[in-house]
Amino acid sequence: MTLDLTRVVGQISSMVATIDPAVQSRRYNALDDAWRSLDSVDVNIRLRAPAKTSFLLARVEGEYRERFPLPALPTSYTIAATDGSMILPDRHSPARFYLMNIGKVFLRYGDQPTARFSAEPDLRFEERDLFVTSGSRRVPVNETILGLRRAAAELRAGAELLADLDTPGLVLLDGTLILWSLEANDRGIATEILREFTDALDTFQRAGLPIASYVSSPGSSDLMNTLRVSVCDYPAMGRPVNCDDCFGRIVDEGHTPACDILPTVPDRLLLERIANLQPGERTVVYESQSRILELYGPDHHIGFFYVNTGQEIGRIEIPAWVAREPRMLDLIHSVVYDQCQLGRGYPVALQEAHEMAVLSMTDRRLVEAAIERQLAEHGAVRMRTGKDASKRGRFV
Amino acid sequence: MAALSNTTTTRLGEVIETSTVGFTAESDQLHILPELGALVRVGGLTDQISYYGIVAFGATGGLDTSRTAVRRGGHDLMDEAIYERHPELELVLRTMFSVAVVGYQDGIVPRHVLPALPAPLHYTVHACDAAETITFCNTPRYLSTLLNYRGDVPAEQLVASHLRWVDVQLADSHAWLSDATRRLARLMKRDYDRLVTILQAIEPH
Repeated sequence: MTLDLTRVVGQISSMVATIDPAVQSRRYNALDDAWRSLDSVDVNIRLRAPAKTSFLLARVEGEYRERFPLPALPTSYTIAATDGSMILPDRHSPARFYLMNIGKVFLRYGDQPTARFSAEPDLRFEERDLFVTSGSRRVPVNETILGLRRAAAELRAGAELLADLDTPGLVLLDGTLILWSLEANDRGIATEILREFTDALDTFQRAGLPIASYVSSPGSSDLMNTLRVSVCDYPAMGRPVNCDDCFGRIVDEGHTPACDILPTVPDRLLLERIANLQPGERTVVYESQSRILELYGPDHHIGFFYVNTGQEIGRIEIPAWVAREPRMLDLIHSVVYDQCQLGRGYPVALQEAHEMAVLSMTDRRLVEAAIERQLAEHGAVRMRTGKDASKRGRFV
Repeated sequence: MAALSNTTTTRLGEVIETSTVGFTAESDQLHILPELGALVRVGGLTDQISYYGIVAFGATGGLDTSRTAVRRGGHDLMDEAIYERHPELELVLRTMFSVAVVGYQDGIVPRHVLPALPAPLHYTVHACDAAETITFCNTPRYLSTLLNYRGDVPAEQLVASHLRWVDVQLADSHAWLSDATRRLARLMKRDYDRLVTILQAIEPH
């Protein structure tokens, strides 16, 4: 069905009319005040148990507003990036399988500039690939689980690419290292799936090879949430911070939370407009409070920092063992910034890894055709479902 | 008859599109391609047959046509330095050239008519040396085919480039060139303006 744009435009007018510029301006002023007057020691006291905060916060033992200038880029460096693309199990197909295509990029800069690209397809069809077992539970793989497997495969491929390194080097992935979707699964299954991922992280740690991931235009508001705690009025009332209690009172008592004076904006806006993070600068490394990280173990607990790439505020995630090493941190900081300059706003290694990984509709059809042909040769005739056939030949 | 050279040193690229009237090739190396007007050869499905054509166009661009090139440098990063700073360029760009097919060799004599079949896809495009050139081009009956080739380069430019190229290859004190221009004049007696365009494009001696 087509969109009736003329009707939508009218509705947009109604929506815009409800936005009060004065309120917006007050909220930004409050945000500015909160940032300027942020007392890191006090915030950390507020965050100690028995505080109950219902959302994700940034935590750091130190000054929350600390920033670091861009370190010098090494004269030569190597970066490997990997990205994965999938063909998911298709219930319209008699063959039960999934296909992962991992794009691999190796770029070396400095005295011997080199580029190596490849893509490795991996077709999986065995029982152990199609199901995850934990104790007596066995679940079929779904999109979420395969996404997690793909993340582990990307990590392993990255480590392989930098097996023989003779310059400072690192591996960069796209997106987050925090496997949020694990939380939805039963803990036993989650641990099972996570094992592949943390095993790969172990490889990096043993080799002393820095690993980081880059999130473009991050929607996270961990730091904003910490600011909310800093303006909470519960401590003034002699009570520990308790978001559950406070939100409960909104309905019961018509209460307005004290942190309502702050706007709902992501961290990148806070850092760009209020904190004025300059091009090249990064924030301190914050610890993420995501509960799933408890399963990662202390060494691989994921931390993050924000960096102004010149084009945007990006979020870089790293395991704790990397965060502890100033040389690794400086390398990641300077290299990711350089990659963003080369890539006109986004790390060039990630751009190319994505290009190598991506599977077009044609690629997908080719795989299906190859399977159909071989099945037919093998004597198994393939029948598509009626629904699938109707999608392929759309008619009026 | 000139020996057909099949050594890899004459390899220029590989056919990636082919038709009765011409083919397109991708160069093995970025920026390196045969000159406009050069004679090139592609082998056939049997040893007897070889296809001959004249380079009619060249271009360098994204390997994936949906990715366009963007400025990579500035006043402090130019030319060759850009390729050193962006090593991935060698892998995401490619150089291509188009060739107008003007005849073939069927093991006996050169034939200056369009071949019955197009040159095979993925076969090697070879450079032609002076000996091969004189064998194929000695009596350039293919000039009328070349004059009618429709590509991005105007046919007059293409013919002029080819005549210049052969002249340089043969280094015969322009004997072939004189003969070729006389032949051209006879072909184009009803199109004096076009002829003059070509003659002017060939450098005066």
